[in-house]
Amino acid sequence: MTADTMLAPATAGGRRRAWGDTAFHALTLFFAAGVLLILSGVIVTLVVGALPALERFGPGFIATNVWNPVTERFGALAPIYGTLVTSAIAMLIGIPVAFGIALFITELSPVWLKRPLATMIELLAAIPSIIYGIWGLFVLAPFVQEYVEPALINTIGEVPGIGLLFAGPPLGIGVLTAGFILAVMVLPFISSIMRDVFETVPPMLKESAYGLGATTTEVVWRIVLPSTRVGVFGGILLGLGRALGETMAVTFVIGNSHHITASILQPGTTISAALANEFTEAVGDLYLSSLIALGLILFVITFIVLAIAKLLLIRLEKQAGR
Amino acid sequence: MNSPLAQPRLHGNDGMPAPPANRVATDPYVAALRPVAGESAGIAPSPAPPTKVEIRNVNFFYGKAQALKNISLSLYDRRVTAFIGPSGCGKSTLLRALNRIYELYPGQTATGEVLVDGENILAPGLDLNRLRAKIGMVFQKPTPFPMSIRDNIAFGIRLYERVDQSELDERVESALRRAALWDEVKDKLRQSGLSLSGGQQQRLCIARAIAIEPEVLLLDEPASALDPISTQRIEELIAELKSDYCIAIVTHNMQQAARSSDYTAFIYLGELIEFDETERIFTHPKVRRTEDYITGRFG
Amino acid sequence: MQVYTRRRLVNYLVIVLSFMATSFGLLWLVLVLSTLVVNGITAITPSLFTQMTPPPGSRGGLLNAIAGSLVMTAIATAIGTPTGILAGTFLAEYARVSWFGEVVRFVNDILLSAPSIIVGLFVYAAMVVRMGHFSAWAGAVALAIIVVPVVVRTTEDMLRLVPAELREAAVALGAPKWKVIVMIAYRAAIQGLLTGVLLAVARISGETAPLLFTALNNQFWSGDLNAPMANLPVVIFQFAMSPYTDWQSLAWGGALLITAAILLLNISARTLAAWSSFKQ
Repeated sequence: MTADTMLAPATAGGRRRAWGDTAFHALTLFFAAGVLLILSGVIVTLVVGALPALERFGPGFIATNVWNPVTERFGALAPIYGTLVTSAIAMLIGIPVAFGIALFITELSPVWLKRPLATMIELLAAIPSIIYGIWGLFVLAPFVQEYVEPALINTIGEVPGIGLLFAGPPLGIGVLTAGFILAVMVLPFISSIMRDVFETVPPMLKESAYGLGATTTEVVWRIVLPSTRVGVFGGILLGLGRALGETMAVTFVIGNSHHITASILQPGTTISAALANEFTEAVGDLYLSSLIALGLILFVITFIVLAIAKLLLIRLEKQAGR
Repeated sequence: MNSPLAQPRLHGNDGMPAPPANRVATDPYVAALRPVAGESAGIAPSPAPPTKVEIRNVNFFYGKAQALKNISLSLYDRRVTAFIGPSGCGKSTLLRALNRIYELYPGQTATGEVLVDGENILAPGLDLNRLRAKIGMVFQKPTPFPMSIRDNIAFGIRLYERVDQSELDERVESALRRAALWDEVKDKLRQSGLSLSGGQQQRLCIARAIAIEPEVLLLDEPASALDPISTQRIEELIAELKSDYCIAIVTHNMQQAARSSDYTAFIYLGELIEFDETERIFTHPKVRRTEDYITGRFG
Repeated sequence: MQVYTRRRLVNYLVIVLSFMATSFGLLWLVLVLSTLVVNGITAITPSLFTQMTPPPGSRGGLLNAIAGSLVMTAIATAIGTPTGILAGTFLAEYARVSWFGEVVRFVNDILLSAPSIIVGLFVYAAMVVRMGHFSAWAGAVALAIIVVPVVVRTTEDMLRLVPAELREAAVALGAPKWKVIVMIAYRAAIQGLLTGVLLAVARISGETAPLLFTALNNQFWSGDLNAPMANLPVVIFQFAMSPYTDWQSLAWGGALLITAAILLLNISARTLAAWSSFKQ
């Protein structure tokens, strides 16, 4: 190479190189900012679209149970209620099952079975929502209608108090069925995060507990779970976020009725199901705006849940020293 | 240019023949490195060759922790200088300061001066790419790029020059020949660099470095990840390359340093303990600590 | 009961329960897939791929829906992949420890799990209302918005895995940063990047909600990207919810097609990932 000075890029080659670096940096920065732009765009369009309805109905919108396109009176209580109840059922069923699966795969399964089992559970997550939807409508709902719901009505339905939850004619479709399908859909997510988090527990920690004679249950309950609390909770919140936003599976089996009843065997509606069913048919600006307001509410709820989950998982990574 | 001989602690003598080595002769292994006891007695040390790289008062910091303390030494052109010392004491840090590769990592800083042909390369505003065109580096772990053998070498060349295919092929062949790899790969230039053995990969990395025609070569423990036969070939290669480049090599293998280098710098806990012609360091080191290290009392 | 016996009983109970939980999960997988195959296989005839969606009561196929889905998936991938890769490159190469990078990562993960129907609403307001009509472009953009977070995540993870020594070797030769990234890091991570794209495509293949109010649906064949375009998920939705049995049969057929495609993509992604780690 030449013997001239190596100081600041006075040569064309040096200038070209410096320009290349700046350009590429700017390019990647632009698209990274684009991600932020998408989120802001979502927030802005939702707020702008929902404004007419929110102005018209005020904060009571969230608490009123009315949905009349003809008289143009809308209140979001029924969809919100449905969203929360179906998600609650999904969590009630999904969390213990996911935990059982994670426990089995990490502690109890023979080594050769771990990977195949994990893969198969992950396949549950790969199946799209609409498949669960039509399966739910054509297979699960009739089954529930014929066997499960009558059984529930005749047993727990007779108990005063709780029995109100299981009242009404067996229809097959309804809040319970929707919640159940949601449970099946979210359990792979929760289970997979639990598995990852369980596997971060140092084997030596578990071995010393086993060495003292602890049973598997005790090792998991007293050692694995306490040290992975944060991650487990984050995983649960992530599953909840998914359940809240699920659309197609719920739309097929929820029954789409803007009514609130105590019984979970009755049809209802969720925010996403209402949107899916009614949006393209909606006539009238207020109707449309009310639907978008529903979307905004859903977005706010899921955003909060996902943000908390993310913050917890970040804290977990910091603890792990990443 | 100041003669390095004028600095204290480096060469105590000023050209007089060295007295017989009786202090270190007690270590049979070290004595074996110098086959004839009186050989050095009759030979005057060669006149100092031109200095290619002069390191002056260099300090290095990983954040707040100081890793190099006021290092000053010279690397001579067409000679091999070895940096020896126990692990973690600053040898690689010093080497990596010479091509400013530490600047990839925030928080690592160097102060002082490093003059390459009189120009201070630690100065701000330096074109780092041209610095690295002049000073090449080979790392401990062979790092072939995920491309064909030919493209590995071409990558560096194309960074600086626009050459047509036939000249490129010539340059690739020339680099591979000088790295003693041509015969083994001439039929498989299109194969991935990752398909070679460890020793071949390392020679590929050396070929890659010399293809851009640097003037200084920095070798960071180039053979420590290789088997003994590959190590030997690398050492032979270094002996050949010496005639064209100023070479600095970090090694934790003292025997390798004694075999391959002309000058040796012993670095301990970030300080330069002793710097001298290799022959002198290994036969009569001036500092107690150097002697202790060489005879294996620690490290 | 002695403490020891109680502990053993509890342990036994938990083991049984967790075994049941795992069987429960697997059971539903088997049930869903087998129902899909049983109900859908009868609809897999050549006419499924050669005829258009029929009006109720007559026979037909899903050609326009399949074609429409392929077109919109391709466009969404073409838009979303470079966006995601470049954004992910920014996070991995320029923002490993920066507050801006943390914000982008945070937002990206929110978008990753956000309800896809919200994405549909956004594109409806941003494109459909502006343009005055539903269109395939809007559908493709909605799908692209779902592709981006997936690709950003996998790109960042894969680029971080490229060993520091490889980068240092390129820098030591004097390569500028952008060449180190494009010519060395991308090549080293190529299999991981491809896996990410495959996973993203698998994800959007089954998405219905974003298409509901963007691309809508089209009974006929349409090559016009500015008009509503038929697509499998919305057709399945419409046909399955209807009372007509031949429509329902077509819906099952379409469902089987989508699921098969998704499983195939997932297997390819896993094989690619396994193959690349094997090569190391």
